[in-house]
Amino acid sequence: MRRSPQPGAPAGNRLSAPGRRQFLQIAAAGGAAVVLSAAQGTAWAAPAAGRTRSYVLVVDGCRPDEITPALTPRLAALRSAGTNFPAARSLPVMETIPNHVMMMTGVRPDRSGVPSNSIFDRVEGMVRDLDRSTDLHFPTILERLQERGLTTGSVLSKKYLYGIFGARASYRWEPQPVLPVTGHAPDAATMDALLAMVSGPDPDFVFTNLGDIDRVGHSDVSGTTLRAAREAALAATDLQVGRFIDHLKNTGKWDSSVVMVLADHSMDWSIPSNLISINLILQSRPELQANITIAQNGGADLLYWTGPEPDRAAGLAAVEQLVSAHEGVLSVKKPSDLRLGDEAGDLVAYCRAGWRFSDPYVASNPIPGNHGHPATEPIPFFVSGGHPRVVKGSVSSEAARTADVAPTIGGIYGLKPPAGGYDGTARGSALTP
Amino acid sequence: MAGTMATSTPAGAFSASQTGVFGHGVASGDPMPGSVLLWTRVTPTPESIPGSGAGPDISVRWEISTDAAFTKVVARGTASTGPARDHTVKVVAGHLVAATSYWYRFILGQEVSPVGRTRTAPAAGAVVDRLKFGVVSCANWQAGYFSSYRHLAARGDLDAVLHLGDYLYEYAPGDYQARDVLVRPHDPAFEMTQLAHYRRRHAQYKTDPDLQVLHAAAPFIVTWDDHESANDAWKGGAENHTPGAEGAWGERFAAAHQAYAEWMPVRYEAGGQLYRRLDFGSLASLSMLDLRTYRDQQASNGTDPAIGSPDRTITGVSQMDWLLGNLTSTGPQWKLVGNPVMIAPVRVPSTLNTAELGGVQKLMGGTSISGVPYNVDQWDGYEADRNRVVRHLRDSAVKDTVFLTGDIHSGWACDIPADPASYPATGDSVAAELVCTSVTSDNLDDILNLPPRTGSVAVENAIKAANPHVKYLDFDSHGYSVLEVTAAGVRMDWFVLAERTSASSGAALSTSFNVQAGTGKVTPAQGEIQ
Repeated sequence: MRRSPQPGAPAGNRLSAPGRRQFLQIAAAGGAAVVLSAAQGTAWAAPAAGRTRSYVLVVDGCRPDEITPALTPRLAALRSAGTNFPAARSLPVMETIPNHVMMMTGVRPDRSGVPSNSIFDRVEGMVRDLDRSTDLHFPTILERLQERGLTTGSVLSKKYLYGIFGARASYRWEPQPVLPVTGHAPDAATMDALLAMVSGPDPDFVFTNLGDIDRVGHSDVSGTTLRAAREAALAATDLQVGRFIDHLKNTGKWDSSVVMVLADHSMDWSIPSNLISINLILQSRPELQANITIAQNGGADLLYWTGPEPDRAAGLAAVEQLVSAHEGVLSVKKPSDLRLGDEAGDLVAYCRAGWRFSDPYVASNPIPGNHGHPATEPIPFFVSGGHPRVVKGSVSSEAARTADVAPTIGGIYGLKPPAGGYDGTARGSALTP
Repeated sequence: MAGTMATSTPAGAFSASQTGVFGHGVASGDPMPGSVLLWTRVTPTPESIPGSGAGPDISVRWEISTDAAFTKVVARGTASTGPARDHTVKVVAGHLVAATSYWYRFILGQEVSPVGRTRTAPAAGAVVDRLKFGVVSCANWQAGYFSSYRHLAARGDLDAVLHLGDYLYEYAPGDYQARDVLVRPHDPAFEMTQLAHYRRRHAQYKTDPDLQVLHAAAPFIVTWDDHESANDAWKGGAENHTPGAEGAWGERFAAAHQAYAEWMPVRYEAGGQLYRRLDFGSLASLSMLDLRTYRDQQASNGTDPAIGSPDRTITGVSQMDWLLGNLTSTGPQWKLVGNPVMIAPVRVPSTLNTAELGGVQKLMGGTSISGVPYNVDQWDGYEADRNRVVRHLRDSAVKDTVFLTGDIHSGWACDIPADPASYPATGDSVAAELVCTSVTSDNLDDILNLPPRTGSVAVENAIKAANPHVKYLDFDSHGYSVLEVTAAGVRMDWFVLAERTSASSGAALSTSFNVQAGTGKVTPAQGEIQ
């Protein structure tokens, strides 16, 4: 069923409500159309003037040293104009889904239930991605800001991100077109959607993921021979960020906008011979191999004991010893040491820089560009924008983390911490009171 | 916010005194948020000359104030000394306020020492806008005058002075000087090998007016290299030590350490641990290394398989664990390392002629193998330990580590490659290294006996071509460096002397390099630190 635009919907856009959701189709660049969704009854009218707009742009997989005036001039200029946090880092496990969740919840995985991209689901008896809305057990600022009468939006390029955040935002964009293999929408399409959302319902806060840099990073076979492809992706994403900044300025929204840019993790490249298969390591001990299930997360393997309970302690100790002895393994941690929660299993193995895990089979992970291990912790992290509260041209030594996003954005709107408080820290040095 | 640490003190505000009860001046060192170490040496009676073991046990009064006129004394006390510690005085003034300037002095009877200025470090975790350090090494009394110290003192804006070693030299007059010119003879007039010798040599250096003025102007943070004991020292000996004729190495090493503990403003006592860490709020930590006490003997040459042996060490196991523990992503942003010898790999090309190779070999203390000298006294000679550091930085993606280095009598700015083999293609660097030149000690033009910036330039270019991670190299100049630390970057300015053999030599800015936060790479910088 298709309805006529409701009062408040931007002229020229079409509104429909096939079920409990309503859809708005907005004309985008090049004559394409962007379809946004919202809960039934959500107003499409832009909120009143005189408010603060805030945007979080995640340049997925970007290393902080890749933002340079020559390669990414718009991002570099944005960073110089605001407050930069060069000591910023991603949090364990340095993967996309958990760090996006930490950004929006402000809490660590032992409270959110989302420790990694891939886990072994003990109930379902299978290794799977944490891509379901029900996997996230902690309120995000996407819905908490709505409780204060504000509106929020999510423009996430990756299918699994769209999946886990589900209908939490007031307005959502489902990524499309989604490229085969990568499972993400190109940044040009994602930016079309973000511009449409800002032009249309114009939420107070929008959470955006730009996935191209990460996806090229994953496909770079050496980190050197295809460096040109990586740089092309960086330059292209930078153009998209430039489109967004130009849009805010051209529509008079810049002076009311706080723009926060960060990555969820960075990237590390391994040569084909530098792979670790824990399943292969355990081949020499069939009684261990049979009782361990592995959720592979690139630079980190999550290990789950599935054998008899009486054998657990001794079995895990033996596994830890065997895995630690591999030259490519940096460390083996207990999930509690990393605040990962029960979903992360019994042991977490990190690889060294220049290595990757490939489990359960040697051929399971042919991707040379990986993250999840400590080598991929450093991230760009800066707060910029035209809003007068943004501290201009500053650099801070503060150790910013992905979990700091929610308290920082929440602080802009006077949002109280969630029950139990944040694990992250509001980066108040980037914003004047 | 603690704000910018240093406050400006007018040039010439501190005086030197080469005679009298306080003829060796005053000094402070190792500033911490709540305390600082104060130092002086008293000569209570005419016979109490350094190294003599003569003179009475006495008590010396000290006081510290928040103003130079001592109208706001915040702490005072007495300290005992006597011939057992060569009449040196070391006290820790505590209960001080973080990030605060203080003035201090000592009193013996009616005699009052010169006034020194010092400053405490910012509180743990405090936001610090900027730090500014003087950086020096390799001051050979016999090779010239310490004008570098005078120029640093005149700045009046330093939070501290980092002395990276070779604060004094062991040689006899004529053994090591300014080319062929003995500018000032050492005392005693022979190589120091015993406790009394080391004490007298320390005392001689402490009479230098430029050194006294700098000590009085800012706290020092020091470590030793080899010449505080003997050339190319290691735990079991030294190149410049002859067992038997010069006694047992263990006794000589212990004597050198005792004199150092007595005469230097450092939180170290003989038999203790010199390597230590100082923190400056959330901005920087400073790990001062001791690369002489625990190291194994140098490899015999650059092709000696021992270079790569995992069983040889330059740091010792405990110090390596301590260092790696300091180089983490938690704690202060910048991880500064006071590093007595270079850690960046340096391969000298075989394209140099024999004279050039010989000069480089002599300067770098290496041995020539098929025309390719390696400096086996540096981290180059202890590859396993260097690999531990590099791999740790790379595996854990530790950012913003800068090695501050002396020893080599030349100025360098280098990346430290994650992998030297792939560096030319990737440019991946795990840290930066900034090397200050010598205050006076001979460098390449001196060894080649050529005018500065003539024959050395081709050598520098050849080394930079063979080592693309070396971005700056000056083999000729003497002088000092100034280091500025902010959240945005670490920057070093190199200042060079007009003439080291002139007591009134001027100094001029030579070049500047910056390490931008998050990059681990050195890049040229413009202007001058203000």
